[in-house]
Amino acid sequence: MTKSIEEIWKDGFVNEAHLTVPKVNDLYNRQSQNVVDKLKNMFDINIKSILIGSVITLILMSLVGAPYLGLYICCLLVPLIIIAKKELKKTVNLSKGQSSYDYLMSFNNWLKSSIQVYSSYYKIFYPMLFLGMAVRGIMSNMGGELIAELVEIIPTGIIILGQPYYIIAALALLTLIAAKYGDAIYRMDLDIVYGRQFKKLDELITDMEELRK
Amino acid sequence: MGSDFYQLSILPFAGIIIKICRAYTNSQEDFEDYYQEVCLQIWRSKDNFNQESEWSTWIYRISLNVCLTYLKRRKSGDKEIISDPLPEEAIDDSKAFASDEINELYSAIKHLSETDRAVILLYLEEKTYEEIADIIGSNTNNIGVRIKRIKDRLHKIINRKD
Repeated sequence: MTKSIEEIWKDGFVNEAHLTVPKVNDLYNRQSQNVVDKLKNMFDINIKSILIGSVITLILMSLVGAPYLGLYICCLLVPLIIIAKKELKKTVNLSKGQSSYDYLMSFNNWLKSSIQVYSSYYKIFYPMLFLGMAVRGIMSNMGGELIAELVEIIPTGIIILGQPYYIIAALALLTLIAAKYGDAIYRMDLDIVYGRQFKKLDELITDMEELRK
Repeated sequence: MGSDFYQLSILPFAGIIIKICRAYTNSQEDFEDYYQEVCLQIWRSKDNFNQESEWSTWIYRISLNVCLTYLKRRKSGDKEIISDPLPEEAIDDSKAFASDEINELYSAIKHLSETDRAVILLYLEEKTYEEIADIIGSNTNNIGVRIKRIKDRLHKIINRKD
């Protein structure tokens, strides 16, 4: 190579008018593939899906004779809608006109804080969902019959809330497990869908932080 | 997007967008996608432009920020990925530009990390170290050292191909 890279660049772009500009079609309706917009879209879809999901759950549960469980699940889903709407509003402050480092940092901070907010709620959501379904199961005819059979195998005189103590103990234990791993389940789900992009973002930020030192 | 906005505020600066997008893409299809995405984001962000910097600097910022966080759609399957520096054997010399030397230089630039691509593109566009530091959001003192390192790497890649 005889020319310097600066010379190659200068000579190559001596006349920018020769550059072929791609055709721009229907930009307004274009589905953005930017990671920020993608997440915004996901939150938006999430809100709509939760809304539709809660109505469907309520109808289905009413049809199978468990309207209160349907209502209970709806009540658990409503905070998710509120959280998603609040998080969506925060993205308004993410301007792409910042420096690359500031932009990536503000995006990363928003992402982390959103994940934290969702994660806190999922710690409550999963155990409450489990508890609601388990209680409904115990109260059902089939659940009652199963517990009666169980009492014949493991008889006990210790009754708590009208149930054998070990049923309550198992319920409490499983609820605690759901609470402990609710966050992990949510993060595992996130990692499957966005793990690679999150890693890429971390690498970019680390690289830029080196430049700032 | 209004056609007037595109004609008056984006098209005169299309060269900047083209040069940046080419450095982050490996196919014509991806390039056109990136170009359109940058145009869309410039239009969406136009109200945030506070005239503290030049419009062209704003376009550099948006173009780089979009290229750094854009999701490419994989052809097989439907998973989205962000562009990575490719292994050297995976990059063919592109015929994107009329000059073979430029194509060769771009091919070498694509072997760099995403941050290094941004730094060298701004340097080749004759931005000062202060401007590069401002656009990237880094420390001016480190820019010179980083550019020297990137240039050495580019020379090595190009000479290896010769």
